[in-house]
Amino acid sequence: MVPDRPSTPPDVASPARRAIVLMLCALVIGGAASLAAIGLTDAVLWLNDVLLIAPRARVQYEDAGMLVPVATVAVPALGGLIVALIWRYLSSAGRVLGPPDVIEAVQFERPLPDLRSGAASTLAAMVSLGFGASVGQYGPMVYLGAMLGGLVRRLRLGVPNLPAIGVACGVAAAIATAFNAPVAGLVFAHEVVLRHYSTQAFAPTTVAAVTGYVLANVVFERPALFLVQFEGVQHGYEFVLFGALGLLCAALAMVFMRLILRVAAHAAQSRLPAVLRPAVAGMALGLTALWLPDVLGIGKEALRFATIEGAFGAGELAVLVAAKITLTALCIGFGFAGGVFSPALLIGILFGALFWTAVDGTGLLPTSGIAVYAICGMMALTSPVIGAPLTTILIVFELTRNYDITIAAMVAVVFSNLIAHRFFGRSLFDVQLARRGTDLSAGRDRARLEAMPITTCLTTDMIRATNNEPPEIIQARLAASPWSEAYITDTAGRFLGVLPQGGQTLIPPALHFNEATTVLDAMQALRGFIGDGIPVVNSETGALIGVVSEASVIEAYLDISQSLRREENAVL
Amino acid sequence: MRFFSALLILLATPAQAEELTVVTWGGAYEAAQTTAIFAPFTAQTGIEITTARYDGSLTALKARADAEGWDVIDMLEPTAITACDAGLLAPLDHAALTKAPSDFAPAKLRRCSLPQNVFATVMAYAPDAFPGIKPTSIADFFDTARFPGKRAIRKSPDDILEWALLAEGVPPAQVYDLLSTDRGLRLAFRKLDQIRDHIIWWEDAADPPRILADGRASMASGYNGRFFAAQQAGDPLSVVWHGRIIGYEVWGIAKTTDAPEAARAFLRFATRPETMARLSERIPYGPARQSALPRIGLQPGTGIPMRDHLPNAPQHGPTYLVRDSLWHSHTTNLRQRRFEAWLADNGKGG
Repeated sequence: MVPDRPSTPPDVASPARRAIVLMLCALVIGGAASLAAIGLTDAVLWLNDVLLIAPRARVQYEDAGMLVPVATVAVPALGGLIVALIWRYLSSAGRVLGPPDVIEAVQFERPLPDLRSGAASTLAAMVSLGFGASVGQYGPMVYLGAMLGGLVRRLRLGVPNLPAIGVACGVAAAIATAFNAPVAGLVFAHEVVLRHYSTQAFAPTTVAAVTGYVLANVVFERPALFLVQFEGVQHGYEFVLFGALGLLCAALAMVFMRLILRVAAHAAQSRLPAVLRPAVAGMALGLTALWLPDVLGIGKEALRFATIEGAFGAGELAVLVAAKITLTALCIGFGFAGGVFSPALLIGILFGALFWTAVDGTGLLPTSGIAVYAICGMMALTSPVIGAPLTTILIVFELTRNYDITIAAMVAVVFSNLIAHRFFGRSLFDVQLARRGTDLSAGRDRARLEAMPITTCLTTDMIRATNNEPPEIIQARLAASPWSEAYITDTAGRFLGVLPQGGQTLIPPALHFNEATTVLDAMQALRGFIGDGIPVVNSETGALIGVVSEASVIEAYLDISQSLRREENAVL
Repeated sequence: MRFFSALLILLATPAQAEELTVVTWGGAYEAAQTTAIFAPFTAQTGIEITTARYDGSLTALKARADAEGWDVIDMLEPTAITACDAGLLAPLDHAALTKAPSDFAPAKLRRCSLPQNVFATVMAYAPDAFPGIKPTSIADFFDTARFPGKRAIRKSPDDILEWALLAEGVPPAQVYDLLSTDRGLRLAFRKLDQIRDHIIWWEDAADPPRILADGRASMASGYNGRFFAAQQAGDPLSVVWHGRIIGYEVWGIAKTTDAPEAARAFLRFATRPETMARLSERIPYGPARQSALPRIGLQPGTGIPMRDHLPNAPQHGPTYLVRDSLWHSHTTNLRQRRFEAWLADNGKGG
């Protein structure tokens, strides 16, 4: 997709009007995103109850013979089939839309994929989660929030950067609603989606995040995801253990992310019909759940058990970590719709509990109990997966309101991110984007330059001639123009070379580009170039497409740089 | 207004005076009901009330309802749900019984029951047993090292499993989710193991205050109204509200009743806000209707402000659990089976 050339909106409203518009948008988007997130969660919980996925529903039918075991296998398989049908018949994109799509849209000032695909993706996520697939709910909630926020793009309100800010508001409200954590929501929108801080974006995303929090926490009185009691870190040496846990979590996070990518790649090449893939994954999940029910769904019960000493044996924890990693990769890779945030939380907390069990089992070191290690593990594993270390630290703080546990988690998160960033990348989202050809690893400006093809800067208004034209006529046309060289093609339009002013023979151009050349490639190639322009040639047919001048490439570069500076320094 | 209410009741009541057998729980609770509900009902309608006592079990309901002519039954909500599913209770026409169903929220008007009051299972202790630090949380109930002595507990999986998980630090909102798993039940029974050798079981709700008073146990589980009555009677005991489990008491009409009209008239009378408030003034069980709350004043005779003693009084703190009646009703067999297996497994519990 060709990105839009950055430009300043023609009708910029007055500062006061901009501030009012932004705040109103933030309130409306925040409220809508929060309600949508609550609606999605409630729909999933309702389905979990009706379909006997939730333990609380399953236990009430414990006396009903084979009903629960049959539902355990059949429900996820059926859910998979429904999801596949949604991809086939309802979605133009044919796949789940999630945070990578949001990041891409915001970073390249593009609209999100069409609403129909977004709605289908949300529906597929609701079915996946409701039917017990091992996928996360936060990715779909983030996309839903972004989709609602993205609707402001359709309005002409005279506020620069409004589409990106609208999306960020939706994301911030969704995260604030999901975790009862407004600060984390605000930071997530900046850290993962916007990737810059400016007053213009900061104020409305704050309003949206607080709106989400108020709706979830005050109006609907949603329970917090997590409540733990923690008396504080008792021994200084435990911070070394938290760091070590962070390193191990980084390794496990990389295994998790690589497995997701690998399974998805294998699934795409497999002979299994696409319509059956999620159902097969669902059946595998259901069969495993007969023996290990904790793998079903989001696993909020397992999340809590992991903070209670003795709830799991070490062997159970190890098996569950392995099973959850494998089944989540299978579900996501085989086409269920959902995110990686919740599974990462669960895998991390179980691994943190396993780590503590191992340390405690040695009997060598007294510790502060399982809860702090479980929470450190949870955040240390999640933060590199979603690429948001600051957000995860804040989530811990806002969920537990406990400073000691936050400091401990911070140590683990930092070490985990250091390793994972070095050996894998900033996040699973970024790596998924890079595999689609959008590399954000070297910064926003580079990514935008890289995403903009040189064809957006070319001109066809040069002196163009065919090789059967007499040279003196070509020279006469050159003399009457500002150009110093003519671009010669054969009669079929294939580029042959350059005829300089006053020259008699064709010479090869000093440089030439093709349709795949980006502005970034062009900037790098232009070092030391002297001449009028660089021909752009179709790489397959050899046809001359047009010419780019050095000035137009630099202009594109400056436009992008200025656009980014404007965004990052914009005030209300 | 009162005149019209009385007239309505009289009109709804058959002309000839009848008798109703109302089944309830005895003790201080029944005494309060007699003053607040039964006697005023008889005074207004002429219908005589005979009371019968039962242990709240479905077995008693099945065995005795028809034989003893039970008409109206005071029940715990989970038992009422199970009894309704089993066809032992008559379905109710709530629209005919109350014109303000929303006044009962958050209590639910279920098919065969009408909520009447809110009670709490709380822990109480004998202050003499702990001259120094006093127990303050539900975790202390399971901590026989810091707080030695026997524990008096109802011989039932109700409430004690919830307490076990609360004592493990599980937030109230997640207790039933966790108890719905095999792992959660194992954890709860593991917690019970910690006090296995210190348990004295009780089955009559009037027992816990007595057990504390005569020094057989240092802590006991029991109903808040019973402990309040014992305190009023001079028994030295203290109540810990942390971890209280709030449940609903409901009225049901036996399927076998031979006086359905009188039974319905009784339900209408018993669930009027002023009747509910009158009961709460005599024993601190909260009214099931919101509009009854502001009517609750001082206890007749003692002048104690009764609203402060209700299970849902805000000063009792935020750590409480509202019993999930539907869950309780649908997991009775499982919990009983696991409880009996635990009892049989090495020991009689005191």
